[in-house]
Amino acid sequence: MQATRKRGLHAGGAQRKRDQGAAWRGLPFVLPYLPFLILFGILPAIYALSLAFTTSKGKFIGLKNFTKTANDYRFGPAFEHVFLYTSVWLISLIVFVVGLALMLHSRASKATSTFRFLYYIPGALAGAASVLVWLFMLDPAVSPARFLLEHVFGSTLFVQAIAPGHLPFIFAMIAFWTGAGGWIVVLYGALNTIPPDLEEAARIDGAGAWTIALRLKLPMIRKWIAYMGILSFATGTQLFVEPQLVNQASLGFVPDTWSANQLAYQLAFRYGKFNEAAAVSVDLLLIGLIAAVLIVTRTGLFRKED
Amino acid sequence: MSSPAAPTSTASGNLTVWVDAVRLPDAKAYQAAHPNVKMTIVTFDGDGNGATGLQTKIQLWNKAGSGWPDVIFSEQVNDPVWMAQQPFDFAADMGSLISKDITSQWPATSLGQCTVGGKLVCLQDNLAPNVLWVNQKLMTQFGYTVPKTWQDWQALGQKVATEHPGYIIGNSGDSYGAWTYFWGNQCPLESNVSGTKVTINAADTHCTEMATLLDPLIKNGTAPPLGIFSPDFAKKYGGATDKVLLMPGPAWYAQDVFGGTLHIPAGEMTATTPLQWGTDSPITTGQIGGGPWIISKHSANTAAAADFVQWSTTSFNPDPTSKDARPGLPGYAPLQALWLAGLAKNPYFAADPSPALKAAAGLIWQGWQLVTYPDQPVWTNTVVTGLVAGKTLTSLMPAFGKALGQAAKAAGYTVATS
Repeated sequence: MQATRKRGLHAGGAQRKRDQGAAWRGLPFVLPYLPFLILFGILPAIYALSLAFTTSKGKFIGLKNFTKTANDYRFGPAFEHVFLYTSVWLISLIVFVVGLALMLHSRASKATSTFRFLYYIPGALAGAASVLVWLFMLDPAVSPARFLLEHVFGSTLFVQAIAPGHLPFIFAMIAFWTGAGGWIVVLYGALNTIPPDLEEAARIDGAGAWTIALRLKLPMIRKWIAYMGILSFATGTQLFVEPQLVNQASLGFVPDTWSANQLAYQLAFRYGKFNEAAAVSVDLLLIGLIAAVLIVTRTGLFRKED
Repeated sequence: MSSPAAPTSTASGNLTVWVDAVRLPDAKAYQAAHPNVKMTIVTFDGDGNGATGLQTKIQLWNKAGSGWPDVIFSEQVNDPVWMAQQPFDFAADMGSLISKDITSQWPATSLGQCTVGGKLVCLQDNLAPNVLWVNQKLMTQFGYTVPKTWQDWQALGQKVATEHPGYIIGNSGDSYGAWTYFWGNQCPLESNVSGTKVTINAADTHCTEMATLLDPLIKNGTAPPLGIFSPDFAKKYGGATDKVLLMPGPAWYAQDVFGGTLHIPAGEMTATTPLQWGTDSPITTGQIGGGPWIISKHSANTAAAADFVQWSTTSFNPDPTSKDARPGLPGYAPLQALWLAGLAKNPYFAADPSPALKAAAGLIWQGWQLVTYPDQPVWTNTVVTGLVAGKTLTSLMPAFGKALGQAAKAAGYTVATS
């Protein structure tokens, strides 16, 4: 690896030229995606930006929508909930997904494909459907995990199971089980790209399973983990479906502005304040962007040399 | 008793109506009786429990400039208030669509609730005064007398907790808990509403004394913080367990909730007049629901829309024991008399509940007015969550008042405390 980096440094100019050629050649591959990206990604973002800085009559008012929403009594709690939820979820996602993928990979046998499939199954349930399944899981009256609910969490009733303090953890648990399986498969694929001779060389040098996993495999899939981190952070801060459904299922026990995205939705469609709703969405966009920039620069996601 | 033949209706054309599951038989029956009208019936959650689905839907239709249904039934009695105002601006003036001879048959208080900015923007499908529902079989079996005042009711609760633990005399976990206990006791949580002004004072004696009265009952389990529609409630207190001794609740609980939702056997329940606060006279009671019909001002077929609403509120009255029966006390006087007569003969009840319902309709406290923001979720997520966690209602009242004030301000109200 040391050698490749040096070569990369020396051949910098030529490399850049080759990259430009590669970019043009890559265009046909991204072309089918571009119209959708522009239509459903970039244009709405620009629209939200223009709404966020104007009044409903289109007059520019600077940051007024931002200060007004930030002072809203629901703004603080909503972001607090979302950050607690995202931290719990991201940490558990990274620790368990990476751990399980490494374990799967080190036990390359027939059982691996069975486990890979098993891990993936919960992810096959789409967002809203999985929440419905979880509503049953969380209701001690019908839950197969009743024992856990009653003896570990002390909840004998549904309303106790979804007490406000439990919610960030419950939503993190739902999101983990629906998302983890897919990521395990992705990381397992990433692990497969590591040349087997590297692993063998390490083994000859006397490295055990632990050392190989932590010192060899983990650094080599760092970029995939970073990629997972960026995508999951964005999804996490934009939490909507889970609290929205639990709000309805619990007959209003959970507020309908529990998460920041719900607050934006309510502002727009309940109060008709589209500009303020846009300001909240721009807040979310900024948070996602900052996190992405941090992860990209810290992990060298787009660095090519190594 | 089948619905009387509708007066020769000339309604025709397309008609889209949005109803909750309970009003579905009504819409279907209208369709059957009026083959000239091409109906599209959409069922939705009825905006119950303070949901805001309709607000978001109407905003979307307004943005799109199309898609509005012609008629909406809402379970939320305050929905017409915001529907008649900007930015929703959805409700049509029914006064010009339905003859005054008909509308004048609703009680003045009901028409008052439906009048926004001088226009009649809705008609209540049913009146929903609170009464005291009584399990006569259990009361006789335990040798208790039916309480007349809230104080007697509380004393009985204390007795039940020691003599027959597990039985309940009410509950505190419904989204409309405040409408059950505080409206009737004249607690100013939505008072002096005029335009965008509202008085909210959770520290008023009328509020705190009721909270103090309820606290021991919540603690001893005779008024648990569980919603009557939650599966846990039916399991713990309904059906074979049959543990509902008393229940302050709206007129429409009747057979629909006790028989249908809770599966309490026939021959046990009846209703009595609302509880009195000490010696305060006259007795006042709260109201829960009393769902209104609203016609869209965007409707291209207001004639059929008005015909449908008029038929639903004045003619539709299936056999009271059938599954399609009207659950609540009709607002239209001639139909109300007919419905009460059916109720009096309904074998589900242990004794005729109709006099209590009829009397309660005239006792609704007028000092509590309807506002544009949903206040019921505020009760659920500030008070009920606290009660479930073991806090007292008294300790939660300041937070409740504050949260109601915040909801009011977010909806553009100025809030006073007196």
